[in-house]
Amino acid sequence: RAQVAALIGASPKEIVFTSGATESNNISIKGVMHFYKDKKRHVITTQTEHKCVLDSCRHLQQEGFEVTYLPVGSDGLIDLDRLRKEIRPDTGLISVMAVNNEIGVVQPVEAIGQICKEFNVPFHTDAAQALGKIKVDVEKWNVSLMSLSGHKIYGPKGVGALYMRRRPRIRVEPQMNGGGQERGIRSGTVPTPLVVGMGAACELAMKEMEYDEKRIKGLQERLLNGIREKIDGVLVNGSMDRRYVGNLNLSFAYVEGESLLMGLKEVAVSSGSACTSASLEPSYVLRALGVDEDMAHTSIRFGIGRFTTEEEIDRAVELTVKQVEKLREMSPLYEMVKEGIDIKQIQWAQH
Amino acid sequence: MAASGAGVPMRREVLQLYRSLLRVARQFCDYNIREYSKRRTMDAFRDNKNLRDPSQLSAAFSHGKAQLEVAKRQSLLYSLYPPKVKSIMDF
Repeated sequence: RAQVAALIGASPKEIVFTSGATESNNISIKGVMHFYKDKKRHVITTQTEHKCVLDSCRHLQQEGFEVTYLPVGSDGLIDLDRLRKEIRPDTGLISVMAVNNEIGVVQPVEAIGQICKEFNVPFHTDAAQALGKIKVDVEKWNVSLMSLSGHKIYGPKGVGALYMRRRPRIRVEPQMNGGGQERGIRSGTVPTPLVVGMGAACELAMKEMEYDEKRIKGLQERLLNGIREKIDGVLVNGSMDRRYVGNLNLSFAYVEGESLLMGLKEVAVSSGSACTSASLEPSYVLRALGVDEDMAHTSIRFGIGRFTTEEEIDRAVELTVKQVEKLREMSPLYEMVKEGIDIKQIQWAQH
Repeated sequence: MAASGAGVPMRREVLQLYRSLLRVARQFCDYNIREYSKRRTMDAFRDNKNLRDPSQLSAAFSHGKAQLEVAKRQSLLYSLYPPKVKSIMDF
């Protein structure tokens, strides 16, 4: 518990162990709103949140609460002035994730924290992707609730944590009732092996954060430059400045994402994220960014981590370039573009 | 069972530790873990090469020995349940 707390700048008494960030998100959103349901009926979140946050909000909407989904700019960041305008006297929670899992963008959490302090609204952030990768400080960010995940920092799967501020104390209605473990917030036997694993992972992450970040940044540049040297029409989705170095979401023009994925069988990439893998629709995150439909369909997410090697990056570049070139060769759209025809002007005939 | 930080390690001991770590690293079946162990060992020893303060030296040495124990345990465990398919990078 102390190991997890040390990584985020909190006290061990403020850490509650759960089964994962999904459960922590559920407890935060539904728990807070149910507890304050008499006075607070409004929640503010963003359009690019993780599925579990959006789903919890939808559940709240079905119960009669109101939810505002803030739009994001084309760089993936929310507009702080818009946030200010949306805050109402009955706003019970603002939930914005720190690092996005699909595009890797880092939201301006410190500024959001300041706004929440000003209006005295609890601030919840899903820091599952941020933990151990960027500096997380619950005081500086002024968060009341933070969701953490074990397996995102090379810990075991099936464990996570929820940070709950004690001063000023935030109250939640527990989602798991029972014997009163974890200060009554989350009943159920605490899974000792998983929790020990998460603690060890957090301690390691704290020691290795600087070394990892430097190395991963170099690998990200190597990947991006390697691909850009060989092919054009490559777009990076999300802001290049405010991003986590281990995530690269690229769109390749005139190529379809799923077919590129099938061609890249040896590389562990995804077109979207694990929680949207069942559907063939382009990801809602990219749609929120305002990316064109055709570019949204071609996006691929590369993840770089502590164990990624330079050779793997080079191999990924080689395979990606080969596949993209092959697919473009087969594509009639690409032929038309090379001849100079403007695709947007084409009138597609109905069959 | 902690490694005792008794005294400053001699050059010979440090080199021995370095070689042992690399030897164990080579034994991991998983490509990524193997490469990581090799790389992390080399980088850590390189970063600490100019340490002169005795307490820092013995702390770093004990840390290295503790990591060697972890690596020995884990490479044994992993080899008991080797993956059926090797990484593409191993071909």
